[in-house]
Amino acid sequence: MQTPKTRRVRLALSAMTALTLATTLAACSGGDDDGSAADGVTTISVATFNEFGYEGLIEEWNDSHDDIKIEQVKVGTWDDAKANLFTKLAAGSGLSDIEAIEGDAMPAIMAESGAFADLTDPELEGRWLDWKAEAGTNAEGQMIGYGTDVGPEGICYRADLFEQAGLPSDRDEVAKLMGTWDDYFATGDTFVEAMPGTAWYDSSTSLSQAMLNQVEFPFETDNETVDVENPELEAVYKTVTDNVDRGLSSKIAQWGDDWTAQFQNDGFATIPCPGWLMGIIEGNSEGVDGWDIANVFPGGGGNWGGSFLTVPTQGEHQEEAKEVAAWLTAPEQQAKAFAAVGAFPSQVEAQDSPEVNEAVNEFFNDAPIGTITADRAAAITVQPFKGPKYSDILTAFQAAIMRVDDGSKDPEASWEQFLADVEALG
Amino acid sequence: MSRRPGFLVYGLLAAFVLGSAAPLYWSFLLGSQTKEVAAQGVPPLLPGGHFMANAQRAMDSIPFWKALGNSLLVSTVTACSVVFFCTLAGYAFAKLRFRGRGPLLVFVVATMAVPTQLGVVPLFILMAELGWAGTTFSVMLPWLVTAFGVFFMRQYLVDAVPDELIEAARMDGCSQIRVFLTVAVPAARPAAAILWLFTFMQVWTDFFWPLIALPPDNPTIQVALNQLQSGYFKDFSLVLAGTTLATIPLLILFVLAGRQLVSGIMQGAVKG
Amino acid sequence: MTTHLHTRGGDIDEMSPLRPGHGPRAVRPEPPQWRQRLSRADHRYSPYLYVAPFFVLFLVIGMFPLGYTAWVSVHDWSLLGGKGDFVGLENYREVLDSPYFTKQLVNTISIFLISSVPQILIALVLAGLLDNQLRGRTLWRMSILLPFVVSPVAVAIIFGSLFGDRYGLVNQALNVVGIDNIAWHTNRLASHVAIASMVNWRWTGYNALIFLAAMQAVPRELYESAAIDGAGRLRQFVSITVPMIRPTMIFVIITSTIGGLQIFAEPRLFDDTTARNGGSDRQFGTITMLVYDFGWQLRDLGRASATAWLLFLVICVFAVVNLVLVRRIGSLGGER
Repeated sequence: MQTPKTRRVRLALSAMTALTLATTLAACSGGDDDGSAADGVTTISVATFNEFGYEGLIEEWNDSHDDIKIEQVKVGTWDDAKANLFTKLAAGSGLSDIEAIEGDAMPAIMAESGAFADLTDPELEGRWLDWKAEAGTNAEGQMIGYGTDVGPEGICYRADLFEQAGLPSDRDEVAKLMGTWDDYFATGDTFVEAMPGTAWYDSSTSLSQAMLNQVEFPFETDNETVDVENPELEAVYKTVTDNVDRGLSSKIAQWGDDWTAQFQNDGFATIPCPGWLMGIIEGNSEGVDGWDIANVFPGGGGNWGGSFLTVPTQGEHQEEAKEVAAWLTAPEQQAKAFAAVGAFPSQVEAQDSPEVNEAVNEFFNDAPIGTITADRAAAITVQPFKGPKYSDILTAFQAAIMRVDDGSKDPEASWEQFLADVEALG
Repeated sequence: MSRRPGFLVYGLLAAFVLGSAAPLYWSFLLGSQTKEVAAQGVPPLLPGGHFMANAQRAMDSIPFWKALGNSLLVSTVTACSVVFFCTLAGYAFAKLRFRGRGPLLVFVVATMAVPTQLGVVPLFILMAELGWAGTTFSVMLPWLVTAFGVFFMRQYLVDAVPDELIEAARMDGCSQIRVFLTVAVPAARPAAAILWLFTFMQVWTDFFWPLIALPPDNPTIQVALNQLQSGYFKDFSLVLAGTTLATIPLLILFVLAGRQLVSGIMQGAVKG
Repeated sequence: MTTHLHTRGGDIDEMSPLRPGHGPRAVRPEPPQWRQRLSRADHRYSPYLYVAPFFVLFLVIGMFPLGYTAWVSVHDWSLLGGKGDFVGLENYREVLDSPYFTKQLVNTISIFLISSVPQILIALVLAGLLDNQLRGRTLWRMSILLPFVVSPVAVAIIFGSLFGDRYGLVNQALNVVGIDNIAWHTNRLASHVAIASMVNWRWTGYNALIFLAAMQAVPRELYESAAIDGAGRLRQFVSITVPMIRPTMIFVIITSTIGGLQIFAEPRLFDDTTARNGGSDRQFGTITMLVYDFGWQLRDLGRASATAWLLFLVICVFAVVNLVLVRRIGSLGGER
């Protein structure tokens, strides 16, 4: 015999169970986590950050392959991707089959070599620029990461604002104004005098990045001991922080909400511009005309960023992942990624391909970005040494620059704090 | 209070309600504009017609349905688990006499002050050891029982079930479990529903632990929102359309069960 | 109630022989000696069975982490490398020596105070308003609870876009009335205000409902006699309502202390810098963000655990201080 009440309780309980069951099923049907479905199809997940320009490539692969499917996992910034990467390395699971690594962090990844598959493949020898291949290879000579792109920097600028300030706006003329950092800053002085509402460059952090990329030993000596109190680094710091009072900086944190908004508000006139940044500029500048790129970089060439694809050993499908990574970083594919988002290929052959060489970017006033970026790549003379702590120290260094920029610390105090931060890295 | 409220009271309340709704409206407003308009800061006061398009783009850039499914699953399972275990224990603390009852209850109440963050490091190590890291189960585990739940049910059941009732049932030769099922459970139902709602919401909105425990391709809705917001290239219309979208499930719950939620908060208060 | 009880009792009696483990029907007529013993055992031990599942789970997921965190905190323990040497209190010393600990502790407390104090005051007023014979009572109550269902992450995203330093709506509105831009993300106090506003938005209505419940339990005669003595409504509110709901205030303040001192999602998502440590100079970094920074950005679980324990101690201290303070204030009010 049942009382009506117990019956009702039972009803409620079974309703709850049903709801749980339903949501479980819903969640499970959402996709297979382990990557191998019953029908023999292997799904390889590729975790990227920012924009790699892989959407079209993945579609192309999936259309022509039945046994292996690629699935992209996108995270916003490298800093978020990095935190996730190390967390899941520690957990021993949870990483994608292929993980994209920002070039600056490759040395730190090398320190965890055991966690990443050896991707060495004699057939791929000579695919990449020498220094790129080197940066993806550990001390034992194993290639841990396949290079995707490199970031030779030019200067992107707003031709319309240049005109308003009475500066020449033609890209060749502009190039002549920026041969050295001093020229670049002096032109900036002229600009901000005419246009006080607009800053000369987008952010002090991006400027410090640009200058840092011309320093041979920015944070560490070549035997990997940390040495941040070196004259070259101090010089970069001094130049950038001295500029704060000159009104050249937007005093905005790079990649933040206000940084994004200033594209729409004529917030700044120039920005150090590696290939992969062009897509971001275009995306943030909807409705803004006047962007152009000058074939010049103050103080010689410089490389900013460029990434690698790695295969964590915790993955279950390393062979397939390796195959996919090799395919994605093949010259033909990277040439297409260049067309999609401007990420300049690190592959020798791709750099020589007509798709890259003859590329013209409509948004940047039909600039021949292929030849410009190739010139910028050729101008690079210094490859900064990056040890395992490079990425972490860089984060601290940028915070130091920002503190001066936003006025929360004077340069000396901020530098002291930077030294303490580096100390705390252990 | 038997006072007839004047215009001022209604006016102040209306102003407050307006303030409560405004940020949500703002979110929808920006979410319904084109990227261009949204980026310029101050949009027109009336929504544009792009919400569905933006929402679609948001769903394409994060694993939205999977995140929603995960959040639903995690919140439902934990809410049921909390209600089950905490009603049992809460009843024992409220109505049964056993040695150590007092100290144990004090212990439970004291642990309510323990911040969840404190457990994150060992929980993470534990999950990694057991190989559960990254699974939705690892997100549920810390929430399966809560000290608050026991305390809440105990407070409710102390008054809701008269001792005489239990005594009488026992005189009739009723076993403990039968007393529990036939007397306590029906009486506990209103409180159980509230506890269920509370736990559901708490787990649904949790961020710190899932951020650590889950990979970006298997997130809860909060972690997915975080992904949507973080990026080098930011599209406000998309981000806010996604935020609005992610809030809708709880808004539905609110419309359906808001009355219970209100009475639950108010009941819990008097007992607490 | 009594009739109800009777039927129920009869029901149970009839059912009892079918109870599992209770022996066959034939046993029933005999003087149930062992049955009595069984029943006594049932009454003595089954309470433990009721609380056992909870405590077993709770020990695993609540208590074990507490102890284990202490264990981790006295070791070198890197995220990737795992357990290292025993280092005693070295991690605690390092954390306490770090200027960020002090700074982020102050931030946490500051954000907590800027959010809690106005929140409780507004909630009190709001509860006072709701404690009237309103038309559409339930609707009003539900309406003020609306923000409570919006998750902190969503709140942070929405308010983050409102509080842009240069192009946010709040600053543009301030410009209209002639106030210069406020640096919400870099000025320490301003950032605390911005974050506190998120917390306040989400929790004020919730707390108002709790206060409302307590207010409704205040005996109406008190107001009537006060009214006869010529006390105005404001006076009644201050000298009757507030002291009478003191226990509820303690409850609200303690729960908001526990929650407020752990604040994480709001400041983290409010941060525009890529490191997300709470601003370039940690203007609005909180203790929980420091736990995350140590553990998952600097990849040092030892220091992260030490920080977590220190946070726990701070919360305990605050809970006690609150209790004493509210008691004191309450008793002053009561004497009036």
